[in-house]
Amino acid sequence: MLRALKFMAAASALAVALTSPSVLAQQDDLAPIANGDWNYETAAHLLERAGFGGTPAQIEALAALSPREAVTSLVHYDSSNNAHLLPFEHSGIHEPGLEPFPPSRPATTELAKQTGEALGVRVKPEGNRRLQPVVNKFFYWLRASVLETNRVAYWWADRMVASNNPLQEKMALFWHGHYAINESKVRDYRKLLNELELFHEMGTGSFRDLMVAVAQDPAMLSFLDAGVNVKGAPNENFAREIMELFTMGVGNYSETDIREAARAFTGWNYVDTDFVVNEQQHDDGMKTFLGHNGNFDGIEIIDLIMEQPVTAEYISSKIYRFFVREELSPALGKELGTILRDADYDVATLLETLFLSKDFYSTPSMGSQIKSPVQLAVSTYRKLGLKDAPGVPDFNRATGALSQSLFRPPTVAGWAGGRSWMTPGLLLERGNFARDVLFPDINFIPPDRINGSAEIRSVADRIRQGQDITSATQPSSMNEGGIMAESNMLADRDEEFNTRYGSFRGWQMAIERVKPIPRHTARINLSEMILEQNIETTDEAVSYLLARFMRVQPGSETRSMLIDFLSQDLGTSNIVDAQSYMEDSLRLVLHLIMSQPEYQLS
Amino acid sequence: MKKNKFRSNKALSRREMLTGMAGLGALSMVPPAFAQAAQAAAAQAAANGKVLVILELSGGNDGLNTVVPHGDDAYYRQRPNIGIPKNELRVIDDHFGFNPGMAGFERLYKDGKMAIVHGCGYENPSYSHFTSMAYWHTAAPNSGNEYGWVGKLADEIAPSAPPNYLVNIAARQSLAVRSAKHVPVVFDDPNRFMREAFAAEKDALNAVPEIGESENSSRSFLLDIARSANDASALVRDAWTKYDSPIDYGVNDLDLQKVVALLDAGMPTGLYYVAYRNNAFDTHVFQNNLHRRLLTYTSDAVAGFIQDLERIGRADDVALMIFSEFGRRVPENVSLGTDHGAANAMFVVGNQVKGGHYGELPSLTELAEGDNLAYTTDFRKVYQSMTQGWLGHSDSNKLLGGNFGTFDLFS
Repeated sequence: MLRALKFMAAASALAVALTSPSVLAQQDDLAPIANGDWNYETAAHLLERAGFGGTPAQIEALAALSPREAVTSLVHYDSSNNAHLLPFEHSGIHEPGLEPFPPSRPATTELAKQTGEALGVRVKPEGNRRLQPVVNKFFYWLRASVLETNRVAYWWADRMVASNNPLQEKMALFWHGHYAINESKVRDYRKLLNELELFHEMGTGSFRDLMVAVAQDPAMLSFLDAGVNVKGAPNENFAREIMELFTMGVGNYSETDIREAARAFTGWNYVDTDFVVNEQQHDDGMKTFLGHNGNFDGIEIIDLIMEQPVTAEYISSKIYRFFVREELSPALGKELGTILRDADYDVATLLETLFLSKDFYSTPSMGSQIKSPVQLAVSTYRKLGLKDAPGVPDFNRATGALSQSLFRPPTVAGWAGGRSWMTPGLLLERGNFARDVLFPDINFIPPDRINGSAEIRSVADRIRQGQDITSATQPSSMNEGGIMAESNMLADRDEEFNTRYGSFRGWQMAIERVKPIPRHTARINLSEMILEQNIETTDEAVSYLLARFMRVQPGSETRSMLIDFLSQDLGTSNIVDAQSYMEDSLRLVLHLIMSQPEYQLS
Repeated sequence: MKKNKFRSNKALSRREMLTGMAGLGALSMVPPAFAQAAQAAAAQAAANGKVLVILELSGGNDGLNTVVPHGDDAYYRQRPNIGIPKNELRVIDDHFGFNPGMAGFERLYKDGKMAIVHGCGYENPSYSHFTSMAYWHTAAPNSGNEYGWVGKLADEIAPSAPPNYLVNIAARQSLAVRSAKHVPVVFDDPNRFMREAFAAEKDALNAVPEIGESENSSRSFLLDIARSANDASALVRDAWTKYDSPIDYGVNDLDLQKVVALLDAGMPTGLYYVAYRNNAFDTHVFQNNLHRRLLTYTSDAVAGFIQDLERIGRADDVALMIFSEFGRRVPENVSLGTDHGAANAMFVVGNQVKGGHYGELPSLTELAEGDNLAYTTDFRKVYQSMTQGWLGHSDSNKLLGGNFGTFDLFS
C-alpha cells in the first residue's frame, strides 16, 4: 500500500492519464472545452493527434498551459523553434544535361539516334553498343533518384521525430496523402523535395493558395501529365483529379466542367524545376465552368472551385477524418465547411477550432484512431525519447512493410487510412517492427548500399569475372533451376545498346554517388527510465510503461500477463534488486506491450 | 454410413459435404472444424457457393508470345527474331498456338477448360507497371480508388463480413483486396505467418487476446484483427501442415498449392488472390528463353492446380482468372525483347468454364499509338463475367464503374 502510494506520488501526472474525465465532453460539439476539463490526458491526446505523441515531460508541459495556449503553441508554431533542424543535404547527383528527362528508355535512345546525343551524353561514333553510355546515364538517373528520394524520406522522418513544431510535419503528411504523388512516375527527387517544402511552408495557411501552388508545382504537373494538355488537344487528367480528388469530390461537377477546366489549364507546364505557362499552347477562348462564363485561366478555375460550398466541406471533412475521427455526420461536415470558408480557407483557423472543441475530446474521438505506419514509427521514437529516426531498422523498409512508403502512395487517391491500415499479417508485422527497434538485427544489410536484385548482382558478378556483356547479361536461371540456351552464350552480340547492362551500370553509378544513410541503432535505456521514477516493483514498472506508451490501456488479463512475464524473466518482482541486469527484460516486456492491439491506437 | 458415402464420392459438392458434416455434428461430438464449416456455409451462401481465384502475372506478360497468332504473317514481320515459328508452337487451331513451354495450358484448352479472352485493355493505357496495375487492381482506369475491386466485391457479396472470406497470399497486401468491411487474410509463407518472437516471449505473445467489451469500436476492431491473426495463422499453418498432394505443380506453384490446402481444410474463403511476383514478366531483353520458362512455370502450376482441385473434389466450385497489367508492344525491340505495351490476353480456367476463344484479337497491322495493340475488350467485361456469371452477383455495375456486359463463359 505504502509502496503503491509512493509510486503514485512519483508519477502523479501519469496516474491521471488512467482516469477518464472526457465523458463530459460532447460529441459533435465544436464549442471549446472548459479550462477545468484540461488535464494530462487531454494534453496527451492533443499531442498524439496534432503531432506524434511525446514523452511524459512534453505532455506535462502542455498540460500546464490553458487549452487555448496549448493549441496555439501547436497551430501557430514559431519556426525559430527549429534551429536544430538542418536543410536536406543533397548528394549532388543531378547534372544539367539530364533535363528534360525523357519519359522512357526507348524515348531516350530514339532521341540519341536522331540527334547524336541525349541526357548530356554523346553517341559513340564507331564500334559496338554506340548508345550504351546514353542508356547507362538513363538508368543512372532513375536509380539515383530512387535512392536520393529514400534519403529525402529519411530526412523528413528525422524532422518528424525531432521537430519542435510537430503539427507542421503532421500537416505535411496529410497533404502528402492528399496530393498523392509517386516517385515512380515523377522520377525526380528534387521535385518531390520541393513539393514537401511547399507543404512545410503552406500547410497550415490558405488552402486556396496551396491548391494554386500545387497546381503549378512541377511535381504535380509531371505526375498528372500536364505537358500533354495543350490547346486543341486538352488532356483531362489534371482537371479531373483537381476536382475529383483535391477539391470537390466526385458528383459535384459535370464532364463538361472537366473539359472546360482542362482547356483553362492548357499551356501549364514546367521546365526542369520551374513552372512555366506556354502562351502558344494556352486556350484563352470562352469557357463555361460551373455555370460561369469567361475566358478563364487555371487560377480563375481554382477560384471558382473555391466558391463552391462543397469544396470547403470536402476538404475540411477530410482534415477532420485525419485528425479527429473516421466518421462524421453530414451536418458536422457542413458546419466545418462554413468555418473554413468564413476564414477564407485558412487551415490554421479550422485546426484551432477542431483541437479546442469538445468534440475533439469526446469519448468517440479519444484513443479511437489507428496509427498510420509512419505515425506508429515516429511516435514510437518520440515516446522512447529518441532524437532522430534510427538507421536500423530502415525507416522506409519498415513503414513500407506496414504498407506506407513516403513518396510512394499506392494510387493518386492516396492512402485509404483508418481500418485499412490493418490486416492480421500487418498486426503481427507491427510487433515485428517494435522488436527490430528494441533489438536491432545484427545482420542488417543497408538497402541503399547492397542491391536487392539478384539479377543485378548476377550481372555484376559475371562482368567482374571478365565475361563479355552479352554473356554477362543473359537472363540468369537463378532460383529457377532452368537451362540456358548455350548457343546464345558463345559470342558478344552486335547491338546498339544492352538494357540489362545499362541497368546494372545505373545502379553502380548511383550507389557510388548517393550519400549513404547513417545506420546507427536507437540508443535506448529503459533501466534508467524506470529507475528515475523510483519504481520498486515489476507491477509499478509495467504500469509506468503502459501509461507512457499507450493511450488506450489493455485489459487486466494482459496487464497481469505482462507483470508475470517481467517478474519471471527477472527472477524477482523487486526492481531494485534487478536494476543492474534488467535492461533486456524491460525491452522484452516493452516489445510485448508494443505488440498489443491497443498500442496501435492513438 | 454417411462417412462411407462421402468417402466414396470424391466429386461430392461442397454443399453436400457440409450437409454431411452438419449431420455428423448432430450425431456425434461437435468437432472443432464444425464452427469453421458453419462459417464456410454462411460465406458460400453469400457467393453462390463458388470460389474465385485470381492469379496476377506481374511485370506485363507478352501475350503475343503466349498465345501466338501463327496464322497472321504480320506477327512474323513484326517479330523477325523473337517470333516463334509455327513448327515449334503447341498449335491449337489454324490461327493460334501456345508458347512451346505451355503443355499444361494446351491440355487445359483441349479439354475445354480454358477460355482465352483476347485484346483486353482500356482506353488511354498507361505504360507504367505501377499505374496500370493500380488500374487493374481498382477496376478504375485513369482514375483511382482507395479500395480494390476484389475487396469491394467481398463487401458487396458478403456484406456481413464473415472472417477469412478474403485471402491474399503475398508478402504485402495487394491493393486489389483492400476492403472496407473485410479483414483480408494476408500471409506469405504459412510457416512464418506468426509473430517473430524470442523463445522467452512466445507464450505471452501468442496469448489469445481478451474479448473486448470495449466501447471503443477501434479497439474492438483491433481485438478482432488480433484474434483473426491468431485464428487464421493457426488455421493456415494447420492446413499447410496437413496438406499432402501427389500432384506435380512444377518448379513454382505460384501459391496455388496453398489455395488448395485452405480449400481442403474448409477455410470459409470465397475469394483468393495470388501472384507471379516481383515483376517477373518484365522481359525487355533476350526474352525468349526466360519468357518460355516463366510460361512453363505458370502453365505447370495452373494445370497442377486444376488436377489438385479434382483430387479434393472441389473442381466444380472453383474458377481461376489470370491477368497481367499490360501486354508488350507488337514489334520486338533491339535487345531481342519487348517493351511495355497495352492490350493483352486474359485466361479463365476451370471445370465449369466453356473453353474457347472470346473477344477479338486486335489487328497486328493497324496498331494503336506507340506500336501497340488497340484493345478490343474492356478488361472490366471479364471482371463482370466473373462477378455476375460465376459468383452470381446480381449487379456489379457500381463495383466496376459501369456496365461492360459479360461473356457467357460458364456452363
